[in-house]
Amino acid sequence: MITHERAIAMIQESTHGLRKAGLLAHDLVIHESTVLLGMGSELDSVAFVTLISDLEDRLSRETGHDQFLVLDDLHDFNGEEPSLTVRTLAPYLVEMARSS
Amino acid sequence: MGPQAPVMVITGTSRGIGRGLAEQFLARGYLVAGCARGQSTIDDPLYHHTQVNVSDESAVRRWVRALRTKYGRIDVLVCNAGTAKASSLVTMTDGALLEDIVRSNVFGTFFVCREVARAMMVARSGRIINVSSMAVGLHEEGTAAYSASKSAIVELTKILAKEIAPLGITANVVAPSMFASDAFAALGEGVQARARMKLTIPRTVTIEEIANVVAFFAAPDSSVITGQVIHMGLVV
Repeated sequence: MITHERAIAMIQESTHGLRKAGLLAHDLVIHESTVLLGMGSELDSVAFVTLISDLEDRLSRETGHDQFLVLDDLHDFNGEEPSLTVRTLAPYLVEMARSS
Repeated sequence: MGPQAPVMVITGTSRGIGRGLAEQFLARGYLVAGCARGQSTIDDPLYHHTQVNVSDESAVRRWVRALRTKYGRIDVLVCNAGTAKASSLVTMTDGALLEDIVRSNVFGTFFVCREVARAMMVARSGRIINVSSMAVGLHEEGTAAYSASKSAIVELTKILAKEIAPLGITANVVAPSMFASDAFAALGEGVQARARMKLTIPRTVTIEEIANVVAFFAAPDSSVITGQVIHMGLVV
């Protein structure tokens, strides 16, 4: 069971890792409206791919099941937004954990 | 080399070039993680085997994740797994054969490169070495499916090299000529004989010679060598 708050914390932890790996210029403070992909995002394509891989690892460890994020599915969570924000990604992580 | 021994991942280690390279680099102190559809044929405490079909995207993702967990890093990847089934002229090659060759050689290389490159991105270092073939340079009749798949590996590698260069990761290709393996035998005697006549150095290459090229690409001093193809025994 992963809560919405835990999902956001996972994203925050992952971005800390990106900072340590030098993939982010500075630490991000993650909140609901933080843009992860698209206009306004501070992550380049490499950082975004690494973020997704890291979140898959974290989700797999927390649920005990292999988890693979499918970006196309995210559209179902919020097809209105032109960018991918934490507000969209967090519920997706919660749903993946719940359905595993 | 102890706990700091470099980690090399090799696909297709049950036989042929893959198995030979695994043995070569185990002898040099590498930790080698290999895979094949079948069981391990290598008995060495530094060798870790997983049964994986590299054309299965989910299986590759699970395998590479497990390797990241086990080793914490991947220093070198050698994508060798592939199929070299006997093919006939383009006008006689059926779709099932084409699909089998492309899935194994192209999809497999793509999936493994993608997943391992992601692992290397975090470390901001790594060496990817893909195995192509003399077939790319020979344009030999009767190898359309196989040669097309090996050409795709060259193109894939060159683009990958450009994408990951800013992260300190290199990607190169070794294209061995004739190596006495099941894959080479599968091309048939006619193809083998014609290929031998067209080679610049018309003899089989040894696993030590192939390992020499892999070691060159994998060396720390080769950090500026990327997107390159070394054809063995053939001027292209």
